[in-house]
Amino acid sequence: MSSPIQLQPDETFILNVGPQHPATHGVLRVKMEMNGEYIVDAETVIGYIHRMHEKMGESKTYPQYLMNLSRMDYLGAVGYSHGHVLVVEKAAGIEVPERAEYIRVLMVELNRVASHLFWFGAFVMDLGGFSPLMYALQDREHILDMMEAVTGSRLTYCYFRYGGLYNDIDDDFIRAARAFLPRMTKSMKKYHKLVTGNVIFQKRLEGIAPLTPEMCRKYGASSAVARGSGINFDVRRNEPYSVYPEFDFDIPVYHECDSLARYNVRMDEIEQSLRIIEQALDKLPDGPIMPKKKPKIIKPPAGDYYQAVETARGSFGVRLVSDGGKTPYRLKLRSPTYSNMHLFDEACRGMLITDALAFMGSLDLVIPEIDR
Amino acid sequence: MIFDKTRQALFALFPAQDLDKPVVEEPSSDETEDAKTKKTAEPRKDGLLECDYSVHGYHLDAQVAPEQLLDAVTIVDNLEYFIESITGVDWIKEDQLEVVYDFSRYDFDVCRVVIRTRLDRNNPIVPTITGIYAGANWHERETHDFFGIKFDGHPHLIPLLLPEDADFHPLLKDFKA
Amino acid sequence: MGTENIPSSVVQFAIAEKIINIGRANSLWPLTFGIACCAIEMMATGCARFDMSRFGAEVFRPSARQSDVMIVAGTITKKMMPGIKTLYDQMPEPKWVMALGNCAISGGPFAFEGNYNIILGADEFLPVDVYVPGCPPRPEALLQGIIELEHLVSDWKRWKNPEAA
Repeated sequence: MSSPIQLQPDETFILNVGPQHPATHGVLRVKMEMNGEYIVDAETVIGYIHRMHEKMGESKTYPQYLMNLSRMDYLGAVGYSHGHVLVVEKAAGIEVPERAEYIRVLMVELNRVASHLFWFGAFVMDLGGFSPLMYALQDREHILDMMEAVTGSRLTYCYFRYGGLYNDIDDDFIRAARAFLPRMTKSMKKYHKLVTGNVIFQKRLEGIAPLTPEMCRKYGASSAVARGSGINFDVRRNEPYSVYPEFDFDIPVYHECDSLARYNVRMDEIEQSLRIIEQALDKLPDGPIMPKKKPKIIKPPAGDYYQAVETARGSFGVRLVSDGGKTPYRLKLRSPTYSNMHLFDEACRGMLITDALAFMGSLDLVIPEIDR
Repeated sequence: MIFDKTRQALFALFPAQDLDKPVVEEPSSDETEDAKTKKTAEPRKDGLLECDYSVHGYHLDAQVAPEQLLDAVTIVDNLEYFIESITGVDWIKEDQLEVVYDFSRYDFDVCRVVIRTRLDRNNPIVPTITGIYAGANWHERETHDFFGIKFDGHPHLIPLLLPEDADFHPLLKDFKA
Repeated sequence: MGTENIPSSVVQFAIAEKIINIGRANSLWPLTFGIACCAIEMMATGCARFDMSRFGAEVFRPSARQSDVMIVAGTITKKMMPGIKTLYDQMPEPKWVMALGNCAISGGPFAFEGNYNIILGADEFLPVDVYVPGCPPRPEALLQGIIELEHLVSDWKRWKNPEAA
């Protein structure tokens, strides 16, 4: 972006955004070197909510660690649990019954919709529109109700077990999910009418913060940040896991590279997730939700294992280094927003500060997930 | 196929290894008992392994000497891989620290590459790859936080996740809170 | 800041004070300050379904200077602790603190043997008035916390205790 005024590096001041700031979605701090309203340089300071997940991974046994994953990213909690149980199942050789796989996908996609709805509300609020948040959270509450009936919690689900699930879904859940689909489709029309078509909204996002595909590659960006820059990358398609190959869905890709493209990708993703949910409900097989044969104590054989999954925020990877013991030798959590946020420092140079905050919103940040 | 291309390019780093006889890792189930004793006895030699994707979740596993690291990373950069993560592992019994670099691809030609290098635990220094992948910056700072590994040439190696004045490295196995 | 201690006025008007306190209790302005998971439930409480404004506490102020309740919603790390202390010091008297969720009460699930980065509870450095347990607490629990705080502020109750009747 070319700035209309000449930047003079000797006339700058430091602006400290955060760690307590309404636009940073939590405890994130950005030290910005400003020239008037323009950002000359920025340095993101993270670590204000570093909760030692990786250290806990080494000191807790495998089943004890299940709850940590949902506290890592509380908006898309089951997606993160999915990555963790998949890597342990792969390492320990535990078979998962088909019904459990379908219910997992169902839950992950419902959670993805809930997460994107929350992002939608918060993002528009960053740009100054308050009421979409009210609508979005109302729809989100319906998803939370459904999931709460099955999992027992509203936000930090500890629902997946190694080899299966904690609880089977019942007819009430299926009925509620079927009723939710047309409701959400209708709501999407409302959101597009309310927000997407708004001229002010579009003008604030069009052409803002262009991220080239090359930049995405150098930083390892994923999710809507990559897909808004024309990169057709979704782990569900690129490296299919679980029962995702069974479903028919599209990966929305936009080539504009700007904040509006990232917004459009996520809005389209909600619709695609609804498609997956519908198919999962149609195809849901009968059967058990836990495997018949499962080791009593989970002790994966020594080795190095890796599994990536597509969560609501992008490609989440778990590296498990096992020494054959009851606890992992090393558990590395690769969080997608960590890489996406890293882009910010370089991308926001020369930008107006208001645009930079809009750009930050379009990255879909969950700070505890960056800091782990 | 990108897999063959990458394999060939990475093999060039190990002239001693024979390209015609690729090392395929034995199935992990057999080495359960073996690995424990083996690992304490002698650490893995540098070289390229082809791994079973369905078991390990990656295709190629190259262990290089720290001096060869930049060459190896340049190879994957030229083949348009993106950086997934950097992390460390503390092998305290062998008195070594390991730095693990993960790379993957955006296209449908799936190939995950792991590059790892082993360092002396008492003097862990490895060249930075921020010159090749700008996104390695935070990953390297995090690894420095957790393991105390020094990334030679890193532009801004200060604590990232830990408090600014932190002088401890919590993920070392001999760390006591 | 920090050692600031505002004396109450020399002349005390008991009835006026009581009325003012009822006013305060019915218009608690929390600080917009989310740290972790609990903050999402705090936002959900402020939104349509749970509607915190029924209790007059929906005016979230982004500035510490304009708010009178600090809801500590999340895990407190050693790096964040000075920031929270500063925010508390910046708030004008009278002010109250609510510890929302297990992390702010005692460290919650993150209190473990190898802990190197977590402060075990907000009451280690702040005078906490109301504790709301849960991981995270449900919105109803937060509302109950607000009601308790109202009672604490003004000695005035929205409804009589059903057990006493």
